[in-house]
Formats: sequence, structure tokens, C-alpha cells
Amino acid sequence: MGAMSARRSPKQNRLLAALPATDLLRLLPHLERVLLPLGAVIYESGGEQAHVYFPASGIVSLLYVMKDGAAAEIAVVGNEGVVGIALFMGGQTTPSRAVVQSAGSAWRVEPAAIKAEFARGGALQRLLLRYTQALITQMTQTAVCNRHHLLEQQLCRWLLLSLDRLPSNQLVMTQQLIANMLGVRREGVTEAAGRLQADGLIDYSRGRINVLDRGRLEKRACECYAVVRLESDRLLERGATLSA
Amino acid sequence: MAAIQNSLLAALPRKSYLRLLPGLAPVELAFGEVLYEPGQSIQHVYFPTQSLVSLLTLVEGHLALEVGLVGWEGMVGFPLALGVDVSPVRALVQGGGAALRMSAARFRVELRRCPPLQRELYRYVNTMMAQISQTAGCNRFHVVEPRLARWLLMTRDRVRSGEFRMTHEFLSHMLGVRRVGVTEAASALHERKLIDYSRGAIRILDHRGLEKAACACYERVKEMHEAKRPN
Repeated sequence: MGAMSARRSPKQNRLLAALPATDLLRLLPHLERVLLPLGAVIYESGGEQAHVYFPASGIVSLLYVMKDGAAAEIAVVGNEGVVGIALFMGGQTTPSRAVVQSAGSAWRVEPAAIKAEFARGGALQRLLLRYTQALITQMTQTAVCNRHHLLEQQLCRWLLLSLDRLPSNQLVMTQQLIANMLGVRREGVTEAAGRLQADGLIDYSRGRINVLDRGRLEKRACECYAVVRLESDRLLERGATLSA
Repeated sequence: MAAIQNSLLAALPRKSYLRLLPGLAPVELAFGEVLYEPGQSIQHVYFPTQSLVSLLTLVEGHLALEVGLVGWEGMVGFPLALGVDVSPVRALVQGGGAALRMSAARFRVELRRCPPLQRELYRYVNTMMAQISQTAGCNRFHVVEPRLARWLLMTRDRVRSGEFRMTHEFLSHMLGVRRVGVTEAASALHERKLIDYSRGAIRILDHRGLEKAACACYERVKEMHEAKRPN
């Protein structure tokens, strides 16, 4: 396989990569590669979802949107997951908005094709269901974190979850955007990021965050990061063995 | 045959329901009983009929926050339906009463051979995800009083009664706030004659008024639960 085709393989998504070859072959004609430009809204709160997306790179943020328009992030999805669970779970709408937080690309599938494959009850169904549980854990932990932890800890959790889904140690992200994601005021993010920078954990300039010391960042985060990470790894590992 | 008192089971075709029936044991859940601890394997699933079960997360071993509430509309133990046999949360009986219980082993078998049960459960999991996202968002933005009002209404919908037992300490865990915050919010709702509160018993006096006092999050998730089943 050439470098180009490897870069464009559906196997860049870990759920698709965990599928047995025959299952992936069956799905292949229905996979369409699309770009995920920064800020693109994949689906709107309360709206119909036109496709499911298996990200190959980049990060999609799921935001809970209040009636007055205020929003807070409830989960992030990268190449370990899928966006648009409601489609195959049989819900019509969700109260969340999915927006691209870090540009990348994805493989998208039409509802009829994903529903048909899901209904076969094979490896894809098992993987999608397990991923759903991992996503539930992430949402749960975000709810707890929002309630109980300091903004600085939340920022560390958020940086680490984002970093896990990116190829480098750099995030392109303004403080205002981080504040929107966390549902807090920008001043709070500025203060917390300033402390992390002063302590040499991150370097922050002109909308770019470089993580300098990941180990110490993990120590400064609340337990929520580790809970989400472990649960996600465990479920996906077991999902992979089950599907083999 | 008596009416089926759990709406997940009631939504199944009669044939499917009748096949499940021998595996469903009627049990009485006691107030305060713990059905699962986080990290423990799930031995049984429960379909509440007259009971209410709260799903709670712990932080550093302490009760931190309620992330889900399961009554006659749902099932306790839904991770099993997702192929996961360990509970991530503590499941605590909030309202004592009747439920139908099935062993995990039997449930796995029944689920595999009953597509209508799969359909109902996946749909239910989707509404639980809405409930969890709402908890995350609501906690971020709304103050205690509308959240308490929302919680009381959600409880009422799930026990189908405007009266239930509840201590302030418990409510503080549910809402993830300090006890004094709960006491203040409950007094405010009491003064507005929306609820009556004495010795661990709460009575909703004016549910329309309470709906007005609750944040919009209550209506949103309720609408999702009540959304028509797709054909």
C-alpha cells in the first residue's frame, strides 16, 4: 500500500480498523471520505442526522445546547469513535450539537447502509455498542467534572482528551473557544492557562497550545481524564478481540 | 393478564413479552438498597414497575452526582445491552417498590433472540444519553432551585406519584451541591407553595407551578422520552 492510500484508508478510524476484513469489505462501497473543516457543524441539536461519521483525523466536539443557546461540551470524538449514534440506536434526534473542534477528515455512511449493517448483529454492531458505552462514560465523567472540579483541572482534562486525538503535541485553539467548550468565562480559562504556562506544562501563544510536559499535565488533571481513558481503552480492546 | 407496568416491556410485541415472562421474577426493592457498585459485574437487570432507581457516580470514593434516574419507563443494567458486563455507576434504590428482575445470563440470551427487545433498549439508551448530557449541561449553567424542581418532576414522572421520601442529604448527592444549598432551594419552593416538605417526605402541591420553576432541561428530555416510536 502506498503512503497516499495508507493515509486515506478507512482503517485510520479505530472502529473500522477493528472490523474483520469481510465486514469492512461489505461496508466499503458505502464509505465516503469527507473533510471536516474547523467549525463545521455536523449536526444541530434537535435536528435530523443525515449521516454517521467515522473520523479519520481531527476532533468533533459534542455540545449540549440549552434553550437560550448557551452550550457546553459533553464529549469529544476522534478516530477512536463515531459521530451520530442516535441514527443506529433508533433515536430521532439528540439534544446535542456536533461541531468540528480540530480540522481533519472522516468516512461517512448513509443512514440506510449503517442501519442495515448494524441490524446484521455482527462485529460492527458489537463495536458500535461498546463505543456507545465508552461515550456514556465520557459524558458521565464530564457531568461530574463540571460539578466538582476546579477549572484548572477541567482544562487539563480537556487538553489531554484533545491531545489523545491529535497526531502532535500542538492544539490550534483560542481561549475563547476553550471557554465555549467548557461553558465557562474566558477570563477563567486565561488564568488557568497562565498558571499552566508559568509552571512550564504548556506553551501558549497566538492561538496555539504546545504541551511541553504531558506527565505533569496528567498529574494536574482530575481523575476524570484517567477514568475516561481507561474505560475507552478497555472497551475498545475487548471490542477488538470480540470481533476477531 | 394484568397490564404491563413497565413501558419498555409494554412496548414489546405480545409474543416477545410472553417469551420473556418466565425469566422475569417479581421482586421488592427496598429504599436505600444498592443494586450495583461501580466496577462490579452486573448480576441482574431490573425493570422497575413501582420503584425508582438512581444511577450515581462517585468521585474519589464519595457519592458525587446523580447521572440518571430509572423508573417504570426503563431498565437498570443497560450496559449489558451494550455488551458491557460491569456497571460504571452505583445503582441505588431511591423509591422502594416492585420491579421485575432477570439474571444477566438469561438477559443476554433473550436479547440475542429478541430483536424487538434490542430495538426498545437501544432507543432507551439513546434517551439515557440525552439525560446524561442534560445533567452535564444543566449542572454547568443552572442554579440549584430550578435543578431541584427539575429533579422533583423527573422523580414524579418515574414513580407516577407526587409523594416520595427524600432526605436533604440525599438530595445534595443527587444534585452534587452542599446540603445547605438544597435546604435553601427546598425552602424557596415550599414558600412558593409548590411543594410540602416534612420529615423526609416530599409532596408536590402544584406541579404546573413546579414546571415553571424548573429549568427548560426538564421539558427537553421529557419530550425525548415521549417521542413517538419510529415505525
